[in-house]
Amino acid sequence: MKLSAGDFLCLEGDFASSLYIVISGTLVGSCSEQVCTATKRFEPGSIIDVFSLLENAPREYTLKAEEDCEIQVVDNEQLKAILDEKPSWLRSIIEFLIRRNHIGEENKRKSDLVQALPSLLYLFSGLLKELNSNTVPVNLLSERAFRMNGSRPEECRKLLRMLQELGILKIQEDSVQVESRELIHLLYETLRYRALERKVSPNILSMTDQMVLTVFIKLSKQNKDPLRNGLSAIPTSELKAEAKKSMHGMTLTTRTIGSLVEKGILTPDTTLDFHAKLEQSEFFFGDFDHIMDLLELNRIFPLLDKKLVE
Amino acid sequence: MNGNSRQQVIPPAHLSVKAGFVVYSHNDQERKIIILDKGELAAVDNSQSPRKIMFTMHPGDLVGVAAILEREPFRYDLEATVDSEITVVGEDCMESELKNIPLWLLAVIRELSAKNRQRKEDSRHSRAGNSLISLAEFCRYQKKDEPYPLEGFVQEFCWQTKASAPSVKEDLKALCRRKFVEISGSVVTVTHPELLELFVDYLETQEQDKPWPPLQLTLNQKKALVRLSIMDNQTPQDPPAWLAYFQKNNITLTAADWIKMQGLGWFANPKENLFVPDSKKVQYFLLALRYEINLRGVL
Repeated sequence: MKLSAGDFLCLEGDFASSLYIVISGTLVGSCSEQVCTATKRFEPGSIIDVFSLLENAPREYTLKAEEDCEIQVVDNEQLKAILDEKPSWLRSIIEFLIRRNHIGEENKRKSDLVQALPSLLYLFSGLLKELNSNTVPVNLLSERAFRMNGSRPEECRKLLRMLQELGILKIQEDSVQVESRELIHLLYETLRYRALERKVSPNILSMTDQMVLTVFIKLSKQNKDPLRNGLSAIPTSELKAEAKKSMHGMTLTTRTIGSLVEKGILTPDTTLDFHAKLEQSEFFFGDFDHIMDLLELNRIFPLLDKKLVE
Repeated sequence: MNGNSRQQVIPPAHLSVKAGFVVYSHNDQERKIIILDKGELAAVDNSQSPRKIMFTMHPGDLVGVAAILEREPFRYDLEATVDSEITVVGEDCMESELKNIPLWLLAVIRELSAKNRQRKEDSRHSRAGNSLISLAEFCRYQKKDEPYPLEGFVQEFCWQTKASAPSVKEDLKALCRRKFVEISGSVVTVTHPELLELFVDYLETQEQDKPWPPLQLTLNQKKALVRLSIMDNQTPQDPPAWLAYFQKNNITLTAADWIKMQGLGWFANPKENLFVPDSKKVQYFLLALRYEINLRGVL
């Protein structure tokens, strides 16, 4: 097939069952997908649209002759005729390679998505601080994620939708809104700790710790006293009584509350002697918002990995 | 490109093997494709204790394509779990067959193989287009003047972007040279996160071969910018009033200057035809002028 300079060979998305081999001249390919916004040049020896030949996949590029070109077209009938002549294992090998390509593509797509999450959270948290707002324009976030990590806008949108399904943000028309700015940062830090320290982050709490904090939050909400510097103060006696009710009759002891004190999530009004009774402290203090964020983090974190690979 | 030149084809070997027979050992030097025609094979990892069956093969399945086409070793031993029949395509056999197929088909096979290899290669590297922009973007969200352990800092960035530690360290040096960050022993400090925003914008326009607006201002426009930055009273005014204001301060601006300044976003337009300076934008341009040398990296 001969083309004159400026002629179009095919349009992106056209369904076809043939491939092109450039014999002479140069073709320029363009496509609308974000990943290949730049044009690609095909010079003599280039082979284009292998998957159109093998499985009738749509054309990857709109191809235009940059100069006079000679193109060889190979269609599916020719492929079939050759493979019918050849031993069956050759067909098996080609089919295997096609399968591997698809699996490889799918794995890459998933791994890119997993890879994009930490930087998206990092930038999101940074932008919330920079803009001093609970809302960030989606385009701004995508733009910065692309700069920093090469993440594609569709990956960002997918991750944001996933986080929305987990209930930690809300996508509005062209912006994304969070209820708690700190939660995004906590989520990032927890992922970072897991990846770099190869340990469970201290932000991930045991079931008992979560139950104690749920009791603490419940009492804080009932408490009519205003928060002091964001801190809620709950009398130990009330904490014990409510824990007994909410935690299936479990008695709250210095030991049960100890890990929360050690992590600095709850603070007693006196230095806690871990061998003495819990009543040694009259009150326990805790940052209401931080505890709410921690509980939310512990709710979503186990679901995150599953969501990512869905 | 029709591949008419015929050469001698070496046929593959067809073998019948008993259960337990090791069809392929990962120590074998010879690369081959093994196709299971009948029976069952298991890929076993004997390096683990107890040995672990990685997967089982059923009739029609094959292994070893990557070993022959992509020189990627097959890591497991292959054993027959029941009496089986296999076809073994050795390198010689494969090569002789490939010599007898049309060149375009050979190109298709090579293309499929190359795509796989390329994808694997890509997944090991950062996807960021420009490593320095990527690092600057990362640094700008770090706390100003907070000392971080250098290794941890680099590790965190590498984890996020898959950049390699040596290249990150090189890029950090480039930021150090511009005085945006400081490295002292094993500690790194981001001293000017606010300038990194400008630096990223500057690099992006450089990459696109475009002029960066803050470095394209005329002397009078620069004077106007400085004037705007030191204004106390920012009453909304219409364009003629603004031009008169600048004139009063010995800065002669034309209507074209006014249009340019508006285009650069120095003025917000809260009400119809009345404008107030956008202090954030003005500050951005002012910083760019003040730290032009740092941004250009010609210290």
